[in-house]
Amino acid sequence: MLKAMVRAFTNLFRPVRTVPYPAEPAPLPKDYRGLIEYNADHCIFCDLCEKACPPKSIRFFQHPDGSKEYRYNPWLCIYCGECVRACPKPDEALWQSETKSRPAVAADDVNEGWFVWEAACAQSREAYAAAKKAAKAAKAAEAAKTSKTEEPDTGEGA
Amino acid sequence: MKKTVNIPLGSQHISLLEPIRFQFECENETIVGVDADVGFVHRGVEQACTSKFDFKQVGFVVARVCGLCAITHSLSYTLAAEKLLGFVPNDRIRYLRMLMVELDRIHSHMLCLAHTAENAGYEAMFMQIMADRELVMDIQEAISGNRVQFDFIAIGGVTRDLTPELAAMVHKNLNELSGKIADLTELFSVNWSLSLKYKGIGALSLEKAQIYNALGPLARASGLATDVRAETDDFPYEALGYEIVVEHGGDIHARNMVRLREIANAIAMCHNIADNLPAGEIMEKAKGKPKGEAIVRLEAPRGELFYLVRGSGENMLDRVRIKTPTFSGIPAMMEVFKGSQYADAPAILASFDPCMSCTAK
Repeated sequence: MLKAMVRAFTNLFRPVRTVPYPAEPAPLPKDYRGLIEYNADHCIFCDLCEKACPPKSIRFFQHPDGSKEYRYNPWLCIYCGECVRACPKPDEALWQSETKSRPAVAADDVNEGWFVWEAACAQSREAYAAAKKAAKAAKAAEAAKTSKTEEPDTGEGA
Repeated sequence: MKKTVNIPLGSQHISLLEPIRFQFECENETIVGVDADVGFVHRGVEQACTSKFDFKQVGFVVARVCGLCAITHSLSYTLAAEKLLGFVPNDRIRYLRMLMVELDRIHSHMLCLAHTAENAGYEAMFMQIMADRELVMDIQEAISGNRVQFDFIAIGGVTRDLTPELAAMVHKNLNELSGKIADLTELFSVNWSLSLKYKGIGALSLEKAQIYNALGPLARASGLATDVRAETDDFPYEALGYEIVVEHGGDIHARNMVRLREIANAIAMCHNIADNLPAGEIMEKAKGKPKGEAIVRLEAPRGELFYLVRGSGENMLDRVRIKTPTFSGIPAMMEVFKGSQYADAPAILASFDPCMSCTAK
């Protein structure tokens, strides 16, 4: 009881610890789980990070020429690090930094913008798959055509 | 003519921490009947677990059911999923998981004590306990890399290791904390103004606790020795100095004492874990897909947490059922209110440490 009273009294003369915030950034501990960082040069585009991510904040956009583009939403990310653990080349292609994400502002268009991008990614995949299928079918048809046109030749030849 | 007056408490009220609505039937100032309504924060977590996420991701989803016992939720799910996969974690993984669960218990109990003090009109003590709680939060932040959402436990192990520097920090902070807990124990037992609000208020007798199936600190304060830690063998609690804490008063004071003594016990266990950490890998490969049904019980800070997980050998689970301690404890809680004064209702409610975001999920 006496201890508590002494403590309450000394508290009156202790410096206030909350005054500098938020003017200066809050101290982060060592090995803070921050933003996911990516290096396209080392990425092998296996999509394992995309499949592992619980909130699906990593997406790959499929270009028609076959290359893929990495896109990451830091405001959807929960910083769990599942993608880094799934990555076959951690620390080279994908790693977790100690940088804290900045708050999103209206210019970032985090909600609608991301939905648009997400839909675009899904559509690009479908379009690419469809194009590939069509190309394969065309190739098969071409092969069939050539073999068909060749067949009579060989038949005649025989 | 009706002689009673209905007074609501919640769903938003200055002394309520969480969205729950009570309808008290009062005769003058005495409560004679209670009706409770939970479910103001339903988020459809169980449905999301079986329709949107792979079984490997569900651990991170259920961790978001509750901000305070995030580790307990993800651990219960992970244990259930590992049972289905037939995976047995090594000792180092078990010790590290147990360390985090016990740290979680310390800070959750401290939060509850702070709120009971606040609801008894002791704002300064609320501030003091919340400031002391930072010692534990700092350890958890240093170990897991984040302050609230730890994401420390994944299927197959834990995501980070306890380095010697971190072990030293665990010892340093917990030593500092145990002195403060001793001070608090003294303050809670001898302070006169606190005793007015706590002693003999909101009592639950042993018989009532048994009839209404009380659990967690609420039951142990009434003398009902029930603790999942003593009943299951998922973790080596006995070897690390676990002692069941039982008080016999049944009132708010007894609940506070149970929590304070459990904190002291948890601190001792954390010291033991940090000292005797076995060698081994922190992450092992858990192969396969979950098939069958598994049940896991785990002692959360508020009582028994129950998980049922059912899978049919596919990536998506068939069913995830979460039964939280507050939900199971509602009948006993409603019983405590009957016969007490309306003015004591907020303090009684805070002493249950209710977690509505868990219950409604």
